[in-house]
Amino acid sequence: MAKFVKKNKPESAIPTASMSDIAFLLLLFFMVSTVFVKERGLKVTMPRAESIQKIPRNHSATIYVNSAGTISIDDFPVEIPQIAGIMNSKLAEDFNLITCFRTDQNTSYGIMSDILNQLREAECLRVSFEAKLKR
Amino acid sequence: MGGIPTSSMSDVAFLLLVFFLSTTKFDIKKGLGIVLPPASTKADKRVKLKDENITKVLINKEGEILLKTKDSEEQISMAKLKSRIRTLVKNNPDMVISLKTDRKSKYKYMVMVLDRLQAAGAEKISLSTN
Repeated sequence: MAKFVKKNKPESAIPTASMSDIAFLLLLFFMVSTVFVKERGLKVTMPRAESIQKIPRNHSATIYVNSAGTISIDDFPVEIPQIAGIMNSKLAEDFNLITCFRTDQNTSYGIMSDILNQLREAECLRVSFEAKLKR
Repeated sequence: MGGIPTSSMSDVAFLLLVFFLSTTKFDIKKGLGIVLPPASTKADKRVKLKDENITKVLINKEGEILLKTKDSEEQISMAKLKSRIRTLVKNNPDMVISLKTDRKSKYKYMVMVLDRLQAAGAEKISLSTN
């Protein structure tokens, strides 16, 4: 009687040899994309808008204005008349500077108007009002 | 055996991965861009605009909006503003929208209106206050 050799069952194990490769790949991605926050800023609730565009991070300077009207640049509280000088020196470092406003939605517009006038004096003319995407 | 044990390599990698996954914060800046006019007080640099090329959008401290064109003046709701501005800009591509906000008005009203102006395709926007 002929002998039939029983076929081996296919292995059902997940190959783990390349697991670390995948993990390292993901790790590298997160390590590269991680940005450790440079400044704490002020606590603000930003307004919502639809037609918002991305702002290039490497050319941006952020001005925080909270609902009480406190203004902060680079974690230093500043007064309105100081803004022109500070922004002028920032513009000297980066000619393509975009000034971003992280302003609380309940701040009165008068403060913003004063800051905008300071920016015009400092020749920082590219401005962006940061907002969250409206869903 | 003098080899480095590689079996726990993935454990180490995953541990680091979890750390970076939990600490990463994608801080993408997004906002409404605008270019301010330079602070020039010289009379020769001032441009006189024709009245028919100016639309004034006024916001009071309660957030109510008044739309003022050369020959009309109407109070308008936030919802209708976009379509109204769109037709104005479509009919006259040179139209300049002057957005005038009360100093006591909330910043969010100004952003909401600016958002709608930009969504309506208005490119020439001027910001001012009283």
